[in-house]
Amino acid sequence: MNTSVMKVLIIVPAFNECGNIGRTVEEIRKWQKGTDILIIDDGSADNTAQEARQAGGMVISLPFNLGIGAAVQTGFQFAQRHQYDIAAQVDGDGQHDASFLDKIIEPIRRDEADMVVGSRFLEKTGGFQSSFSRRMGIHFFVHLINALTGVKVSDPTSGFRAYNKKMIALFSDYYPHDFPEPEAIVVAQQAGARIAEISVVMRAREAGNSSIRYFKTLYYMAKVTLAILLHMIRIRSDRSQRPDTLSNRQ
Amino acid sequence: MNIHVVAMVVSVAIFLFVIELVRRRRLTFKYAIAWLLVSAGAIFFAVFYRLLFACATLLGFELPSNFIFFTLFCVFVFLSLLLTVFLCQQNNRNDVMAQKIALLEFELKELKKKLKME
Repeated sequence: MNTSVMKVLIIVPAFNECGNIGRTVEEIRKWQKGTDILIIDDGSADNTAQEARQAGGMVISLPFNLGIGAAVQTGFQFAQRHQYDIAAQVDGDGQHDASFLDKIIEPIRRDEADMVVGSRFLEKTGGFQSSFSRRMGIHFFVHLINALTGVKVSDPTSGFRAYNKKMIALFSDYYPHDFPEPEAIVVAQQAGARIAEISVVMRAREAGNSSIRYFKTLYYMAKVTLAILLHMIRIRSDRSQRPDTLSNRQ
Repeated sequence: MNIHVVAMVVSVAIFLFVIELVRRRRLTFKYAIAWLLVSAGAIFFAVFYRLLFACATLLGFELPSNFIFFTLFCVFVFLSLLLTVFLCQQNNRNDVMAQKIALLEFELKELKKKLKME
């Protein structure tokens, strides 16, 4: 396939990101001229949708707050409906530096990976490295995912990602809810995806609060661990009937 | 008044109440069936209470009342688990619908914009 005509969609989930989302969209537009940017407004109570639209993005507004997982999944469903070849996910809070978008999409363009995760920890790049307790949690997931699936991902909670068509199909059908990032890696691996990591630099949030607050870190870790373990034993009855899932690729 | 009569009256009342709810379409059969079965069981044991006592002794309960409490507890745990399953199903359907509505709303707006331009 000619890589220059590949249709790319940038998915930006946003919940009450007024003050951040406009800048985020403008920054993406600066680095990705002409690329479609889709903001999923996850039932925000503020002017997130308006601000995103004014900055030049397409906006899909969910009727009420569904959580980050379902919001991102809506983006995959849009990409699937409109036949995008590549989807990239950028958080709406301004943490992700859009200048790295080309870098994380590149392995997908060259068909070297099905899914690319932007990592803060792959190389000593500096930038925002998260708090100590958060880093401990991330470390824990690195080992958990490695032990369960054999996949080595240094930043499993990173929401800065790129996906190819196969992953768009997989995730528009099933994407984990609540705190989906680490679990999505397991889902992808179990579907036989090639997962790659690219070193990126992240920033601290510019305004508002992260959806994972400090006192919630422990709850987050326990919940995601349980979700991943349960996913490992889940019955995936729908897979054999679907021609488009990854398991039928081989 | 005899305790057996009280038990019988209460279980019959619950049974009739569930039927009335179905009749008024406040409950659908799918959700009523579990409650009907439970209250029918209660009526049965209120009438044949000697059978209940025999069951209690057979299972090693020293007091029949303990057996009743234990059985009721199990029934309610099961019922609430069932309700959680229904709740989860509804929640999932809700999410899917919200996503679909949002996607369709976006497409509708785009179509309207296109029509206006033509």
